[in-house]
Formats: sequence, structure tokens, C-alpha cells
Amino acid sequence: MSRVIVALILVAGLLLPGLVLAKTFGKGVTVKEATAISVLLDSPRTYVGKTVKVTGMIVDVCESRGCWLAVAGDRPYEQIRVKVTDGEIVFPLEARGRKGEFQGVVEMFELSREQVIEQRKHHADERGEAFDPGTVTGGETIVRLRGLGAEIPGV
Amino acid sequence: MAWRKWNYILHRDVGFACIGLTLLYAISGVAVNHRHDWNPNYRIEKTAAQVAPLASGQVDAAVVKTILYQLGENRVEESFFQPDPENLWIFVDGRVVRVHLATGTVQYERVARRTFWYPLNALHLNQPQGSWTWIADLYAVALAFVAISGLLMLRRKTLRRGLLLTGLGVVVPLVFILFFLQ
Repeated sequence: MSRVIVALILVAGLLLPGLVLAKTFGKGVTVKEATAISVLLDSPRTYVGKTVKVTGMIVDVCESRGCWLAVAGDRPYEQIRVKVTDGEIVFPLEARGRKGEFQGVVEMFELSREQVIEQRKHHADERGEAFDPGTVTGGETIVRLRGLGAEIPGV
Repeated sequence: MAWRKWNYILHRDVGFACIGLTLLYAISGVAVNHRHDWNPNYRIEKTAAQVAPLASGQVDAAVVKTILYQLGENRVEESFFQPDPENLWIFVDGRVVRVHLATGTVQYERVARRTFWYPLNALHLNQPQGSWTWIADLYAVALAFVAISGLLMLRRKTLRRGLLLTGLGVVVPLVFILFFLQ
């Protein structure tokens, strides 16, 4: 019996390296050329449904589930969200401020004012912050990536 | 009968082997079920601070350094981002400093992984993937075996109670599927 236990411990030891959290998330990044975030935001219809790679600094991460992150754009005040399926990919909060590469399918949503309020309220709730619906003046077009993979060095 | 003896032995030993992972999934399961009430992975501390007000608009690295100096941060390398002309986010070693430029109000956000919960939840949600997927699959098969072999252990004396409790365990999720997920 003790030999069996020793064998099990050895097998576990062989499997342990796989437990180290990798810097590659999901399917990784295979697209060679990056598309500028400003280009995606300027002409999203050209890219909807296409798989693209974007690069940039991570400026926000979903606090509760790690199910999305936001990447800073190449122009001031711009960012794009990379949304992944809950549990399939989990982005760590420590990734904020780090640069990475992200691959995903471009999606575009036309949101009414009510939907924008609902979405912002949800994000404010996630952060435990107050939200004033009066700050939302109208509907919005949301462009985001349905994330398939990412490479984030150093996390 | 010989199969009953082996069924009992395997049920017992596989059950022993499942104890560790069952506890891991059970404890972490409760933690992630209540993620609306708390963050099961991170301890997030938010504190307020104040720096001298600044003009709204695009800032540069020199301004960021000045702000960090006022906050007692002696970092040389840092990343920053402005979501709009009014606000500035500075990333320092995983911490986030959110500055409202016009008022100089600062929200300092420190994040620390929960030492006990983070790895448990990461395993529960198969965050490592790779070889952990195999271990979790093996555990699932073992758990199914424990359940089925447990059913085969029913004897005349405990048949009624066993079937009743088994039925209860099946009916509860069925009710949720039929009435709450349609």
C-alpha cells in the first residue's frame, strides 16, 4: 500500500508543473499582425466577426470573476474591452498596468440609454461604487472583442 | 457474493481518495457561490488621499511622477492611463491610484490575493487547465463511481430509505431545471 501512495505522490509531482499559472490565457495569440484599437473603434463594421489581435496596456480587469479586461487604445482616452466566457479564461487583477497581446472576435452592440444605464450600474456594483444614471445622456455603440486568448508577460 | 465485497472495497478506497478534492470543491464552492457578497479571490483595500489639484486634460510622465511623489511613492517606472480628461489612473506594482485631476482627490486601491481562497478557487474553476483538467476529470469519474457503487450497496434493510434519499437528491436539481431555468 505504501508503494502505491509513493507512486501517487510521484505522479502528482510530475503533474505539478501544469499547475503553475501560465502567462498564456485561453488559446493564446496566433494572429501575426496587430490591428490598432483606434482603427477598430473608427470602423468597427469592417471588422465585426473577424478575429484580430490588439496590443496595449491593461487598464482594468473584472474584479469579481476576471471575465473581462480593458486595453488602452493608441489614442488618448480610448480603450477596448476584451470579454471572455466566465471560467474559461480568468484574468488576474494583478494584470492591471501590464502590457499584453489579445486575440478575439470583434463584436458591436447598439445599446439604448436604458441598456447603457443597466451596464454601467452593473460595473459600478462590481466595484462597489456609486453610479448616477443622470450621467448617461443617450445610447451608445459598444465595440469589444470576444476574447479567445491572450499573452500577458509577468503575471 | 464476490462482487459485493469488491464493490465495498472499491467504494471505500475510491471514497478515501476523493476526500481531499471533495473538501476542496465543497469549501471553494461556497466561496464562489457568494461572490456577490464578497470577493473570494482578492482582498481589495480602497483608501482616500489628496494631492494638489491639477488642470484637466492630457497629462505626461512628469505630472504622474509629481503625483506619486506627493503620495510618498518613489517609483521610477510606472504606467498610467486616462479614461477621460478628468481622471488619471496610475498603476504601481499592481496597485491602482485613481486621481480626479480637478479636485486632486485620490482613491488608492491595493489588491492582495487571498492566500487560502485564491488557490482553492483557481483549482475549482480549472484556472490552471492543462494537467489539472485530467485530475478534475479523473475526480469526476471517481465521484460518479462512488455514487453508483453506493447505490449497489443498498440492501433490503436500507432499500426504502436509500431510494428515498437518492430520489430526493435527483428531484431537487430537476425542480430547479424545470421551474427556474426555463
